Amino acid sequence: MKRAQSAQAAIALSFVVTGTAMALSMPLLRHLIEQSMVWHMLVQMPLLVLGGWLSARVVSAFHRVRRPTSWNRYGLAAFFAVLSILAYWMLPVAIDRAVVLPAADLAKIASLFAGGWLLRLAMQRSPMMIQVFFVGSMVSMMVWLGAYFATVDRRLCNAYSLESQVAAGHGLLIVAVAVVLLWLVDALRNVHRHVVADPAARHHIA
Amino acid sequence: MNESSSPSPDPVSATKGLPQTFLASLLALLLGLATIFLSTDHGRAFTTETLRRSEVDRRPTLIPDFPVIGADGKRLNLRRWMTTDGRVWIVDFVYTRCQTVCSSLGSVYQQLQAQVLARGLQDRIGLLSISFDPAHDDAAALSAYTFRMRMRADTWQVVSLESMADRQRLLDTFGIMVVPAPSNEFEHNAALHIVDGQGRLVRIVDYDDPAAALAFAMSLRQ
Repeated sequence: MKRAQSAQAAIALSFVVTGTAMALSMPLLRHLIEQSMVWHMLVQMPLLVLGGWLSARVVSAFHRVRRPTSWNRYGLAAFFAVLSILAYWMLPVAIDRAVVLPAADLAKIASLFAGGWLLRLAMQRSPMMIQVFFVGSMVSMMVWLGAYFATVDRRLCNAYSLESQVAAGHGLLIVAVAVVLLWLVDALRNVHRHVVADPAARHHIA
Repeated sequence: MNESSSPSPDPVSATKGLPQTFLASLLALLLGLATIFLSTDHGRAFTTETLRRSEVDRRPTLIPDFPVIGADGKRLNLRRWMTTDGRVWIVDFVYTRCQTVCSSLGSVYQQLQAQVLARGLQDRIGLLSISFDPAHDDAAALSAYTFRMRMRADTWQVVSLESMADRQRLLDTFGIMVVPAPSNEFEHNAALHIVDGQGRLVRIVDYDDPAAALAFAMSLRQ
């Protein structure tokens, strides 16, 4: 009973997160991402990734994969895909396109959602050293770009004011720190699980 | 829900699927790199601004023939008027209420005007400021701007769109993106746009490099 309830809550959460992220591209809320780089890059984009992650979690609860799929050993393929997707959406030219062209915006929604989904597949199947490498590259990408956005006195996105770009730069640095912390918590929890060596804990519902 | 199934330590399956994984990883990486490569003009343009400049370099665009009004209130057709005397134009975009980047563009244009006059080039090179704020910039506002900038009518002109409906197409043709900025101003990608005697936008130059704009405009005339 409790299990069913928490599954329902997980489904609801994934719908709310994905729905909110998608609503930001629709007429009523679209002005937020059109006028503020912070809303676009630091609210909508992370929500899309999170939505993908949560949806993957819901699906895996119903559809448990017993063995690691053969194309994604150690989560490597999924990590490379996530890295490519994130790198693309950090390009100023890509961000501008998503503001101006509906097709690019749709591609953004689909690819970042898929990115979140793949990130979970990657994290589930990877040993810690591989996670350190990939999470490290993603975070350093964000730190580099965040510092650049926050300090350069030239507008990089034609769609946003310089003020908005500086704010987004600071925000990216905060997101980078948050990602490191989240990853640390996750890693420590896994270590703890192994130390405790409680087989039941491995199937614990998060 | 299974939060994290630990990577399989099973020695039999430790290498199973590695070739597939290698191929899939390579594919993901190559697809990502190819997408980035193609969407940045082969890795040369990471911002929209550089992209629009290299597109104009490769493929000059004919400017539209919209009805505009001058500071004297006279109605003109933009391209027809710009191509009547075969002059090469250096074009920028303004709104006359502007306090920020436009004031520096204003002084760049003042320098350009001084240069053109000093070298006697006014019948070969024209300077044109186009307002993208037709709602505010009527003939009276343009006339006041002319006075404030000390524009010489034979060298430097300012026009405004007659109809608000043409605004977006004008901005799209030149690749100008206007965004609202604090205190009721606009922010936009300011640059010097060179339009040749046939009314084609052929080059976009940084607005803090008027010498390059002048040199390029001169090279078109020879």
